Amino acid sequence: MNVEIAGLTRRFGRTQAVAGVDLEAGPGVFGLLGPNGAGKTTLLRMLATVIPPSSGRLRLLGRDPGGYGGRRQIRRRLGYLPQNLGYYPGFTVAEFVEYFALLKEMPPGRVPGAVAAAVERVDLGDKARAKLRTLSGGMLRRVGIAQAIVNEPDLLLLDEPTAGLDPEQRVAFRALLRDLGQRATVIVSTHLVEDVGAACSQVALMDVGRIVFHGTPDELTGRAEGTDAAGDAPLERGYSAVLAAARATAGARS
Amino acid sequence: MTAATAPARPAPPRARRLPPAAGPARLLGIELRRSPMLWLLPVLAVLFYVSTYRPAMGNPPFWNIRGGMIQSHTMLVFAPLLAGAGAWVGSRDGRRGLADLVGMTAVPRWAGQVATWAAATIWAELLYLAGVGVLYAVTARQGAWGGPLWWPAAVGAATVAASCAVGFAAGARLPGRFTAGLAALVVFLALAGGAFAIQDNATYAQIWPLNVQGPFPPDSYGIFYPYLPDLAIAQVMFLAGLAAAALGVLGLPAGAGSRWLRAAAAAVTVAGLAAAGTAIGLAGTARVEPHGIVIPALHDAASDRPVPYTPVCSRGAVPVCLQPAYRAYLPDVTAALGPLLRQLAGLPGAPARVTQVVVTTVTSARENGIGFGGPVISGHPPVLYLPLSGLTLPGEGNTPAASFTANLRGQYGTAIVNDLVGLPSGSPAGTGVTGVNFELGPRHAAQFAIANALDQVLRLTGPWSVRPGARPPSRSLPAGTGANGAAASGSGTLAGSGAGAGSGAGAGSGAGAGGGAAPSAAQQQAAVDRFAALSAAARHAWLLTHLAALRAGRIALSEIP
Repeated sequence: MNVEIAGLTRRFGRTQAVAGVDLEAGPGVFGLLGPNGAGKTTLLRMLATVIPPSSGRLRLLGRDPGGYGGRRQIRRRLGYLPQNLGYYPGFTVAEFVEYFALLKEMPPGRVPGAVAAAVERVDLGDKARAKLRTLSGGMLRRVGIAQAIVNEPDLLLLDEPTAGLDPEQRVAFRALLRDLGQRATVIVSTHLVEDVGAACSQVALMDVGRIVFHGTPDELTGRAEGTDAAGDAPLERGYSAVLAAARATAGARS
Repeated sequence: MTAATAPARPAPPRARRLPPAAGPARLLGIELRRSPMLWLLPVLAVLFYVSTYRPAMGNPPFWNIRGGMIQSHTMLVFAPLLAGAGAWVGSRDGRRGLADLVGMTAVPRWAGQVATWAAATIWAELLYLAGVGVLYAVTARQGAWGGPLWWPAAVGAATVAASCAVGFAAGARLPGRFTAGLAALVVFLALAGGAFAIQDNATYAQIWPLNVQGPFPPDSYGIFYPYLPDLAIAQVMFLAGLAAAALGVLGLPAGAGSRWLRAAAAAVTVAGLAAAGTAIGLAGTARVEPHGIVIPALHDAASDRPVPYTPVCSRGAVPVCLQPAYRAYLPDVTAALGPLLRQLAGLPGAPARVTQVVVTTVTSARENGIGFGGPVISGHPPVLYLPLSGLTLPGEGNTPAASFTANLRGQYGTAIVNDLVGLPSGSPAGTGVTGVNFELGPRHAAQFAIANALDQVLRLTGPWSVRPGARPPSRSLPAGTGANGAAASGSGTLAGSGAGAGSGAGAGSGAGAGGGAAPSAAQQQAAVDRFAALSAAARHAWLLTHLAALRAGRIALSEIP
C-alpha cells in the first residue's frame, strides 16, 4: 500500500479539520470528494508532508514521514498539485518544471528529458519557452500538473486539478490520470463528480473531517437507490444521498 | 494532453552522467536567469553613476578618495535598496502562494533559499564590482599615483552581501507586500543612526560600514602612509557575520532541513553573531593615529612606515616639493606661495624649502572631534612643512585654480608671515603658525605692522585697507586697544612693551619699545603704508637687518621705514 492512514487528525487551534481518518490506497486513481470545508485539502497537505498530523498514524510509500530522512525519501517520489498554485511569472514553462524537478532531487542528467516529457504530456510542448505570465489560467493549471508529474511519482496528490480546464482538456486530463494510475497511487480531490466517475477506481467522500464513504464509483451511485437525493447525474445523487445520511446520523448522535 | 494520445507515456530518457554538484548548479542557474535583481540592475547602475562616479570625477584622481567614495557613497544608496530587493526576493514564495509546494520538495528548504539569495546577491555584486572596475580603470587612466585600494571595495562587497542577506531573511520570515519597503527603511535608518553615533565619537560605532578611516583627511592614508586595513578587516568581519547570521536563521525552523542541517544552520548563526560581536569589540579598541585608525589586535606594525616616494619639486630660490600624487598641483602651489617665499628668501628663520606633509599634529577632543595642525616651520635650514589636506584642490567640486591659490595664500601665507615676524602662535604646541587668536600687546605693534604690510603688498588675504578705528581682517588688534591708541585693559602683557608714549599721539610720534599705551590705528596704518610703499628689495634689505630685533619686540613703529 502506498498510503496507510489510521486515526489521522489535524487541528488548527480549536478547529478540527481532519477528525480521525482511516484509509489505505494502492496503485490506481483515488477520488476524494466532499463539500467545502470537509477537510480534503488538509488531508492532502498532510499526505504531501506539507503539514504534520496532530495525531494518528501515517505511512506513505512504506515510510514514516515523521522523520526527516523518511520524509525526504517520500518527497523524491511524490507529486503534489496544491489547490491554489502560485507561479513565478518570469519563469518559462520549461524552467518552472525543471526547477521543481531539481528540487525533487531528480538525477540532473534525467531532468531535461523528464521536463520535456512532462510538458508534452500536458500538451504544452509548444509553450515550453513561454513565460508563465503570458499563459491563461487553464494553461497554468497544466503547468502545475506538469511539475507534479515530472518525477514520475509513485504517489500523486492533485487538489482540484481540473479547475480552470476547458472540457476538451478535462477529458484529456482524465485519460492522463488513468494512465498514471496504472503504476502510481493518484489521489484526486475534486468537487466534480464526473471526473471521479470517469477516472477513479476508488472514491472516498469526506464530511466535517471524516470519511463517510469509501468504495467504488458504482457503489457510490448505488447509494442513491431508494432515496430522493438531488442531482443531475447518478453519481451526484449518490454523493447527495451519502452526505444526507451522514449528516442525519451525526445529528442523531448529537 | 489530448485524450486519445495522452496515455502513451514517452520512454524515460536515459540519464546522462553529471557530477553531483550539477543539480544545485542548475538550480542556481535558473535562479540567476530569473532573479528579480536583474530588473534592478539598471537602477543600481544609474545610482552608482549619480552617487559615486560623477562625484568621484569631481574629485582629484587619488586612489584613496575614489576608494573611500566606493565604500561610503555607493553603500549609502545601495545598502537600503539591496535590503529592500533582498526582502522582495526572500518573500517570493510566500507572496506567490508557492510556500506549500517548495516546502514539500526533497531539497532542504534552506538550501533552496540560499540558492535564491545567492543568485540575487551575485547579480548585485557583479554590478557593484563592474562599477568599481570602471571607476578604478578611469582613475588609472587619469594617472593616479600609487595603486588602487582594495579594502574599501571589499567592505563595499561585504555590505552588498549583508544587505541582501538581511533583507532576504526578513522577506522569507515575514513575507508581505510591505516587507521590502520596511527592510529598506530599517537599513537606511541603521546607516543614519551609525552616522550620528560616529559623530559622538563612540569607538564601537567605528564599525559603521560607511566609515572609511574615521575623520582623517584622505591623503593621510593611501598616499603618505599605507592604507591601514585594520578597520576594514573588522568591518568585513562584522558584515560577513551579519550575513551569516541572517542566512543561518532561515535554517533553524523545523521544516528547513534535517537535524544535521538545522544544527549546521544554528552553528552558522552563532558563528555569524560571534564574528559580528567580535568585530564590534575590536572596533571598540580602535585608536586614532596620525595615519589612520589602528586596531591593535589586527594591526601590522609594518604599515606604520611612511610610503617611500621621490618628491616632485619646483625650481627657484625656495623649492616647493610635493608628494608625487600631487604633481598636477605643483604649479598652483608654487604660484600661491612663490611671491611670498621670494620676498622672505634668505631671511633668518624664513623657509629655505617647502615640503608637503600629510598632517603636522593631531589633537583629539571629546567634544570637538579631531583637529589637525597647519603648516610648521622648523629645522636648520628652516623647512616649511605644508599640509594640503584641509584645502579644496583645483578641480575638486569645480573649484578653480585661482580659488585654490587664493585660499592657500590666505590661510597659510599669513601664517608664515606671522611666524616669521614673531607674532605669537595660537597653536597649543607653540610651533604651529596658523591662527593668531591671542591678545596682542603694544610690544607687537611693529611686528603687526610689518606683517600687515607684507600681507598687503603680497595680497595674501586679498585687497583690503585699514580704516582708522577699524581692524584689518586678518589680524586683530590687541583686545582693549581703543581707536585712540589708549590701552584700556591694563593687561600685564602690555607692561614694558607698548608703543608710543602713553599719550595717544599721532602717527609716527614717540613709538618706542618701552612701556606705555598702544599706538593708535592711524599710527599703525601709517607704518603699514610706509613699509608697503618700499620696493621689494628695500623691504628685504630692512628685514634682513632688523628681523631679529623685530622678532624680539625691540622695534618701534617709528623705526619702520
